[in-house]
Amino acid sequence: MNDSPRSLNDIAISQKFELEDLLDRPALVEMVHSFEVLFGIPLRVYSATGALLADTGAVPSLYKYLETTRGGRIAVQSVIVEVRRSKPNDAVSSQVRCISGGQYLTTAIVYEGHTLGRTIFGPFLSPEVQAPPAELFDLDPALERAELEAHWAGLSRLSEEYCKRIDHHLRSTLDLLVFSGLKAHLASSMHLASVRESFRELGDKNKKLQQAYDRLKELDRLKSNFLATVSHELRTPLTSIIGYSEMLLEGIAGEVVGEQREFLQTIHEKGEQLLGLIKSLLDLSKLESGTMSVRREELASEKVIEDVVATLTPTARKKGVVLSSSVEVDLPGLFADGERLRQVLLNLTENGIKFTAQGGVVSVSARVVSLSSDKGGSGGVLLGAARRLAVEFRVSDTGIGIDEEERERVFDAFYQVDSSSTREAGGTGLGLSIVKRLVDSHDGTVRVEGNEPQGTVFVVTIPIKRATS
Amino acid sequence: MQLDFATRELTIKLVYYGPALSGKTTNLQALHEAAVGDSKGRLMTLDTKDDRTLFFDLLPLNFKDVSGLSVRLKVFTVPGQVIHSATRRLVVQGADGVAFIADSRESETDTNAEAFVDLRDNLKAQGIALENMPLVIQFNKRDMPGARSESEIASDAAGGREPVYLAVATKGQGVVECFIGLLHLTWQSIEKQHGLGKKFGFDGEGFIENVAEKLGRHEALDRILACRVGQARLGGKS
Repeated sequence: MNDSPRSLNDIAISQKFELEDLLDRPALVEMVHSFEVLFGIPLRVYSATGALLADTGAVPSLYKYLETTRGGRIAVQSVIVEVRRSKPNDAVSSQVRCISGGQYLTTAIVYEGHTLGRTIFGPFLSPEVQAPPAELFDLDPALERAELEAHWAGLSRLSEEYCKRIDHHLRSTLDLLVFSGLKAHLASSMHLASVRESFRELGDKNKKLQQAYDRLKELDRLKSNFLATVSHELRTPLTSIIGYSEMLLEGIAGEVVGEQREFLQTIHEKGEQLLGLIKSLLDLSKLESGTMSVRREELASEKVIEDVVATLTPTARKKGVVLSSSVEVDLPGLFADGERLRQVLLNLTENGIKFTAQGGVVSVSARVVSLSSDKGGSGGVLLGAARRLAVEFRVSDTGIGIDEEERERVFDAFYQVDSSSTREAGGTGLGLSIVKRLVDSHDGTVRVEGNEPQGTVFVVTIPIKRATS
Repeated sequence: MQLDFATRELTIKLVYYGPALSGKTTNLQALHEAAVGDSKGRLMTLDTKDDRTLFFDLLPLNFKDVSGLSVRLKVFTVPGQVIHSATRRLVVQGADGVAFIADSRESETDTNAEAFVDLRDNLKAQGIALENMPLVIQFNKRDMPGARSESEIASDAAGGREPVYLAVATKGQGVVECFIGLLHLTWQSIEKQHGLGKKFGFDGEGFIENVAEKLGRHEALDRILACRVGQARLGGKS
């Protein structure tokens, strides 16, 4: 992550970090305070740039007393300047003497050979020092000897050995603090960098997916165009084939006898069948490209059902299948494209007959349902949403049935549950996909249910829309 | 590699790569244990509760050469789990040398191969060809049942360019040898590019021998480097 201000390499390799970045200030102040409580001696922590990071503000009473006079104040200031100027060696702490005869211990904060800052610990007296140095009494005439002695005696005392131990303790404590700080710092930088890297990676993948998707969409559009053109072009010569075979059958070009008539009838029949297939293809491509217009009109559902049943009764009878219909009384009218709705029911019913064996039953029914109750929630009603009514058409058969996992896919274009059965039953595999699209264009839904004990029910729900809506 | 002329400091980044649970962190722990004196820094591990490496482990080792150049070795491990691919890519960035820690078990052959392809891809993403990266291979977990035989590994090693080492990292066996082998190879590559021997009077071989000593191997460098498998094919001075 070269664009991040602190990359892993910056921190871990170049060690470009400041003490301020690694240590929590309030926690550091707490540590300094506990140090002071433990040893009775003030401790200050400075960064490499000389900024004071932690200090409890405690001042020995001797200094407070000295600062009440001009001479004392100057002396205290010069001690502070000298202490702050002292540059401790990385390995050895340096000692700075002060006017009280005591000393300060300054220690470098070093992490892996890099100086990050330093600590100043003091002032304290060596146990061997019995009396204050003479110059302490000459700092200012206003200073009382007895008081100076009393304050001086209040300074903490530390043996050299003990001082070394404190120094060691201080170093290892700070080392641990810096280590922990660095670890946390690295972990968070790494976390951030990893998230960014993953984000970049996902972004790239998304882009590629989007491109692939756009390409597929374009291909799909081209396919639909192709389909439309081809179907259209196929229709023209087919019309001639059908037309001329019809004319021959009618005897316009002379009498047709025996096998000639039989053959011509087959040509005519198959021609009509082919035309039907081509029309479906054209319908599908129109539906896919969205160029098929839906002409809505006030429509009575029972009329549509009657019409469908009348059309298909001969087919059903030929196959020995019972075709029945039932319509709820007072069924409200629909505002829909009658021709399309007829096509939907015709397709489904024809399918039902096709897949039902002799002696089976195919029935078409219609009733009113409420859409909100269909969704299984009363939320819409509670929120005051208008209850939407719909007409539900059910086309049920007692045929071979459709497995539950296949039920969603039957509406895909060219999908057939079992290609061997189709060969027997015929069809392009386009019927249901056309049904789905036609129902969609009416804002309706179509689904498949199982019919007990055997068979399939296709359920088409078309919302009732008024001409004004 | 990073070179600071003002402070005469050289920083080298070495990365331990390999499939999950092949013993990368264990290698670092063994190195940390082997190191004596003030040369070793604290071993930093950024791991999860169940001791799986989350981001990386980092072992800093610091040495001072007689020429006065201070050399900092930063030894990293990558997280081996497949999902941490982005992190691996970040950690391997700017590596001067890579040790690939493979699991010796026959059953792990595919996992090893996948991690190796991952390494190659991640280097490639930074515009580095695997052939140009100083690389050693360690077959770890020699003590596990189902480990591939030494002769099998030796014949494989003879077919490749990379020095191959055998190790039982949990017992510290072979870890230092592999590390010294990696350092030596990395050093040769850095020397070839930057000529530090001339610029600083830096004695690379002597320095590596010194590092080996600090890691508890008081032997001539040649003998340590000879611990690799299938060494016969390897040229170069050693």
